[in-house]
Amino acid sequence: MNLFRTLGYSGTLGLSLVLFWLFIALFGPALAPHPVGEIVAWDVFEPIGGANLLGTDYLGRDVLSRILHGTRFTVVLAAAAAMLAGFMGVSLGILAAVSPRWVDESMSRFMDALISIPGKIFALVMIAAFGSSLLLLIVIVGVAYTPGCYRIARSLAVNLNQMDFVQVARARGEGRIYLAWAEILPNMIHPMMTDVGLRFVWAVLLLSSLSFLGLGVQPPDADLGSLVRENMGGLAEGAPAVLMPAVAIALVTIGVNLVIDSLRGNVSNTAGSV
Amino acid sequence: MTDKTKSNQGLSRRELLQAIGTVGAFTGLGGGLIQPNSVFAGLPTPRRGGRIRVAGLSSSTADTLDPAKGALSTDYTRHYMIYSGLTQFDSALNPLPALAESFSSEDQQVWIFNLRNGVQFHDGKSFTADDVVYSLMRHKDPATASKMAAVAAQIESVRALTPNQVEVRLQGPNADFPIILATSHFLIIPDGTEDFSKGTGCGPYKLKEFIPGVRTIVVRNETYWKPGQPYLDEIELIAISDEMARVNALLSGDVQLVIAVDPRSVRRIHASGRADVLETTSSLYTNLIMRQDQFPGSNHDFALAIKYLFDRETIKRSVFRGSGMIGNDHPVAPNSKYYAADLPVRAHDLERAAWHLKRSGVGKGPFPMFAAPIATGSVDMAALLQMSAQKVGLNLRVNRVPSDGYWSNHWMKHPITFGNINPRPSLDLLLSSFFVSNAPWNETGWSNEKLDQLVVAARGEGNEDKRKQMYVDVQTIIHEHCPLSIPNFISFIDGFDKRLGGMGAIPIGGLMGYSFAENVWWNG
Amino acid sequence: MMHIMQLIARRAGTALFILLLVSAVVFSLSSLLPGDAAQQLLGQSATPEALAALRESLGLDKPGYVRYVTWLKGLLIGDPGVSLANNMPVAELVAERLPRSLVLAGIAALVSVPIALTLGILSAMYGGSRLDRVLNFTTLCMVAIPEFLVATVLVLIFAVKLGWVSSLSYAPPGASLGQFLSAYALPVVTLFFVLVAQMARMSRAAVLDQLSEPYVEMAVLKGASLPRVVLRHALPNAIGPIANAVALSMSYLLGGVVIVEVIFNYPGIASLMVDSVANRDMPLLQTCAMIFCAAYLLLVLIADVCAIVSNPKLRT
Repeated sequence: MNLFRTLGYSGTLGLSLVLFWLFIALFGPALAPHPVGEIVAWDVFEPIGGANLLGTDYLGRDVLSRILHGTRFTVVLAAAAAMLAGFMGVSLGILAAVSPRWVDESMSRFMDALISIPGKIFALVMIAAFGSSLLLLIVIVGVAYTPGCYRIARSLAVNLNQMDFVQVARARGEGRIYLAWAEILPNMIHPMMTDVGLRFVWAVLLLSSLSFLGLGVQPPDADLGSLVRENMGGLAEGAPAVLMPAVAIALVTIGVNLVIDSLRGNVSNTAGSV
Repeated sequence: MTDKTKSNQGLSRRELLQAIGTVGAFTGLGGGLIQPNSVFAGLPTPRRGGRIRVAGLSSSTADTLDPAKGALSTDYTRHYMIYSGLTQFDSALNPLPALAESFSSEDQQVWIFNLRNGVQFHDGKSFTADDVVYSLMRHKDPATASKMAAVAAQIESVRALTPNQVEVRLQGPNADFPIILATSHFLIIPDGTEDFSKGTGCGPYKLKEFIPGVRTIVVRNETYWKPGQPYLDEIELIAISDEMARVNALLSGDVQLVIAVDPRSVRRIHASGRADVLETTSSLYTNLIMRQDQFPGSNHDFALAIKYLFDRETIKRSVFRGSGMIGNDHPVAPNSKYYAADLPVRAHDLERAAWHLKRSGVGKGPFPMFAAPIATGSVDMAALLQMSAQKVGLNLRVNRVPSDGYWSNHWMKHPITFGNINPRPSLDLLLSSFFVSNAPWNETGWSNEKLDQLVVAARGEGNEDKRKQMYVDVQTIIHEHCPLSIPNFISFIDGFDKRLGGMGAIPIGGLMGYSFAENVWWNG
Repeated sequence: MMHIMQLIARRAGTALFILLLVSAVVFSLSSLLPGDAAQQLLGQSATPEALAALRESLGLDKPGYVRYVTWLKGLLIGDPGVSLANNMPVAELVAERLPRSLVLAGIAALVSVPIALTLGILSAMYGGSRLDRVLNFTTLCMVAIPEFLVATVLVLIFAVKLGWVSSLSYAPPGASLGQFLSAYALPVVTLFFVLVAQMARMSRAAVLDQLSEPYVEMAVLKGASLPRVVLRHALPNAIGPIANAVALSMSYLLGGVVIVEVIFNYPGIASLMVDSVANRDMPLLQTCAMIFCAAYLLLVLIADVCAIVSNPKLRT
């Protein structure tokens, strides 16, 4: 099977981006010309192409090195958090759809309550109780996005549950688990992946605000979102210190989403041929 | 001694020129800050009229009109607009007469204040000694929740001798007492005020609108006790907490004066041609605190090692972009009249740090350092200290924690934390608040008998030369023995529209020590 | 129709329960937060004596459940209490901010929802085409740029450089249309950037899924035109997930716009809540949390009703 043909043009582009960033995440720190916290220049917000390839940041540190060090936090943490939210949201969403109404109702209302708890309080309480750790960061972001994911998953699953082929399977006497696993899940996987892909983007940005609160990645390390945030002062002069991490975020997240989109390539093709 | 009678016209010409003296030049950044002869050239005549909008740093529903409760720079600014004090600061933080026409004391313990005649509150009520008694004594009532309760504890009694004369009796002599009364918390309110929503004072502006967390609008007080002042018709005070947004608002012309400009924005403000910046060098500092009663700060050699690890030059250049001044591990800034110039500034010395570290025997760590964005520059200073420490094999871990609740939960609570101390009107106040054994905020938890005695002696000393010698000894003791490092002093940087006249520096805070309102005019 | 009325009635009942639950959880969570209102108010200058006195005057010396029950009792008669931070009635503080938040949210929604849905449906109709790829790529780029960066770039260009609009978003009451546009243009565009992707991508995915169903292919084979197939057949069946995505996006517009409120200095209710967290101002915090919760419940109820109305099989 020709992988590139299956993925199509944008899928191939997405896949190459994803592979590239995975490579950076794995080997970035080894490739970095400077330690992440080292001051390499007296001037701040230096432009591209001087002694430091991507210029310097707000303290005079090497931007390239900081991006190479920071990518792994963004990629790993955001991916883990988005997948956690996706897994919880989809499994609970399907469960709600195939369960008796009272289970569905109580679970849905529980999720409504969960999403209504202000995220900042939740995060602050967690930091106060457990201190700052990367695992905690993943859990907090994951839990924060679960109710949204659940809501979308449930609405898809409820629709599917009424479809003829599911009703047929039910009439055959199949159990709930089988219905969920074999009939409903495969038919909602694409929209859900779209949703999870988007949550990956948000997670990247949420991570930076949580880091800013003091949860998660600790200085001198910084994830990509935090790199953008801490260098905002250089925006007016168009400093690469703020633009490059922003471009990196865009490339990571677009790559992931292009791959997700192309996985449903056959669907698009049918529709495109209409 | 301190019987001063000065001009009633606010800042006199001489004082304005003094103010210029404290305006530093930003030589490192090209462009330079305001030059003495640009704004003050020939001291242009103030112009009456005009409306400006001013952006402070932060504002929330906790904004207050009660001077005793002022917590943030925006509060102080608001209070100086509406209220007047018995005294006010000059550009060197000496007390000028204000609502008190003159003040004197024989023994620095019993102070007599002679009040100005014919001053009216905004509601038309006359200002008398009873207002002073009420305004000062309420700080001693715990129910007031005064920020200055600890300072006011030294007041034993306040008595109206005549309607125009007040006697303040202190628990011990304090030569700096009149300066303390110039802080915004001690501004004068009408006798018996419980409800502050009207904002009745005898300050330069009257309150027109106040919405906590949103804005304050004031209009000129036509019967202000300084003839001819203030100049502006109306001022709107808002707060923009994001620095970029604040500077953008200045450059787009939506506001005419902003507080707390990041040194990195100075270049851009100059380039705009529309606005200028004013650096006020001050004794504001962010310090590293090692608790004396907890490991490893309890180890004298460890504390010394940390002091040698700080690279003060790099912090000044990288974190503060050349603004501010280098500190010498004691709280007196180099531009203070009490500064111990003969005490050599501690160098960044890895060898000595390594030697002390070895001698301390505390091991390689890791030791967490707690820092938060609310303590200006602390996170970056921690990261730089960590890099230095690595070079001598010491593992210091940066632990950035939320600004939210930092003062109540982290500051002074862990073995190594960062503090952030605003300028105090007098050195005595700073030392007795943070350095003596029984200080309410004895950051390191240390005690030094010699220092305690010196501070008390200096407080009651009327002779400036003797006083300075005592303070030099105090600096040496803190520099050597106190387990805390003050690597740098931080400047206040204001940004203002070039059409705004009359800006100067009063190094208690930004925006002319928060009291720009009565001093500036609009040339637009 | 009966079914829907029942649903609404049932939801209204559970909504009260959820609101109660949320207020209790928010209360206990924020009690877990280090520091209380007295400590936050006194900040760096807190001493034990001052703290004790202030706690007493704020009523913080009473046990937590007593304070909660007092607040709840007040709420039942329509009084959400007094702010601990400044002694003003909570109702007054909220009344000052809520209308502004609703105006901003309303305008942002009016602009974003139609555009986003149109983009999503267009993408789906021409799935795989160049148009689809371009739209897809654009919406992804828009959501991948941090909100604070979008907002600041907009201010730099349109307020600082060009001087077309104000960098501060506040239209005084009775503002002219020009002032109104000047005040709201940048925040609304920023929010559009944030919101467009979820709605556009979800509607694209949901409609595409329907387009691959046999019944749609049947319709196509029968010779129905593409727009007709999409609008008449695919869209109605895709409304469930789309409505949910829209509801989730809209719920963000009230509580999630802190950054926009901060950068544009817009006095809305999101920053009011941030203040109340920072000040440990429980009556205000709980009131804000309940407003957000109520708004969210209302939005998802509307979404669920839309889903049921659009899918005949769910109407049983």
